[in-house]
Amino acid sequence: MVQEASKSNLRLFNRDRFPLVSFFVFFILCSILMGADSRYQISQKIKARIPIISSPINNLINLPAGLFLELKNNFINKKLLIERINNLETINYNLSIQVQENQLLNSENNILRKTLKMRKNFQIRGEIAEIVLPEVKNGYLIITINKGFKHNIKNGSAVINNAGLVGQIINTSESYSEIRPITSEAYAVPAIIDNGKENVILYGNGNGELEIPLFPAGSPIKINDTFITSGVDDLYPKGIRVGIVSEIKPTKSPKFNYILVEPFSQPTSFSNITVLKIKE
Amino acid sequence: MNALTQLQKNKEEKLFFLLFIISIPLSHVGIIGIENPAIMPNYFIALIVSFILTKKAALSLNKVLFIGLVVDILIGKLIGQYGLIFIIIYILDLLINKVIFIKYEKQIESLSLFLIFSSFIVLWVTSQNFNIFIPLKVLILQAILTFIAYLFFKVAITKYISK
Repeated sequence: MVQEASKSNLRLFNRDRFPLVSFFVFFILCSILMGADSRYQISQKIKARIPIISSPINNLINLPAGLFLELKNNFINKKLLIERINNLETINYNLSIQVQENQLLNSENNILRKTLKMRKNFQIRGEIAEIVLPEVKNGYLIITINKGFKHNIKNGSAVINNAGLVGQIINTSESYSEIRPITSEAYAVPAIIDNGKENVILYGNGNGELEIPLFPAGSPIKINDTFITSGVDDLYPKGIRVGIVSEIKPTKSPKFNYILVEPFSQPTSFSNITVLKIKE
Repeated sequence: MNALTQLQKNKEEKLFFLLFIISIPLSHVGIIGIENPAIMPNYFIALIVSFILTKKAALSLNKVLFIGLVVDILIGKLIGQYGLIFIIIYILDLLINKVIFIKYEKQIESLSLFLIFSSFIVLWVTSQNFNIFIPLKVLILQAILTFIAYLFFKVAITKYISK
């Protein structure tokens, strides 16, 4: 007599036990972990407290570039060094003249501000750091700098370079920090046109540019207008250059235009940046 | 016989550990000649898919979850994201093997493509949910490169294990 096979014991081509319950438990566990991490920044805290997680990898990746620079420096001849010193002396002389002029302007500005009872909010004080490798982490673009919380770098600090605004510190470890560039999708910065008329918020579009999705069509703006930080958020000092208007397009609504802004700063590896101090 | 199996298992586990260690620095370096460094393979997805499909290193659901959590802490953006991706890869492979008799090489390659693209869909959905932005075009290119990395890992596994 033929016995009917029990459906619960039916196993098709693979005879392994199907761990459905474990899968659901782990699925829920991972979802909870992701939610908790997103809310309480657990992974950032772990990485910051345990430098062995990220520091050895960063050191290893920067090792070839460091060795190359060291080797290159060893082969610099006397003639080249003298030429470089002469150039630096000329630059130093020109800068010292400029400093005198700036001191004069600064004192004049202080007198005017005092007379007009204006609050002074343009102060650039911070830590100079160098952009190092890696510039990518598992498929995500990042900017890494060679200073961390042991150099008083704090999460949320604004980062600038000689061309303009670079971004904001989002992750710090003992000796390294990560910057979110102004052009990344999650970025917004309050800005003003340099004629001081239009206060706007610029958003990163993720493609190396900034944008204003809805700009009032009646407001005056033209190609090559410059945007600077407005300083209303107390995070970025007023007056740091952000970008230049590169495109003005009409939107579906006749009341608004779409504005595309090309950023001034294009930070590259091994260039210098300044991490601004957060106001207490 | 048992000692031989244990020896083989140890060999597979050693290879997995070695490839895992190599994948860490590789994940921090873009591909030479490609301007956008974000266009790179996801080495960890390629590694897990290759070991699951070749049935090496005795990977179980618990193990892949643990490996995923380690990846999250080392290079991930969110704790639990790679854990979730890896358990989904594992369960999808198990499910497909239950309903389809996977025998031929072409079937295995098709399955690997399916698993890689599924894992990237999970990666994209979870990233979007938690405001981690990555352009879709870049993600598709990453998935294609991950398949190529998977083929490299598979060759490495076959060569090393058959030694």
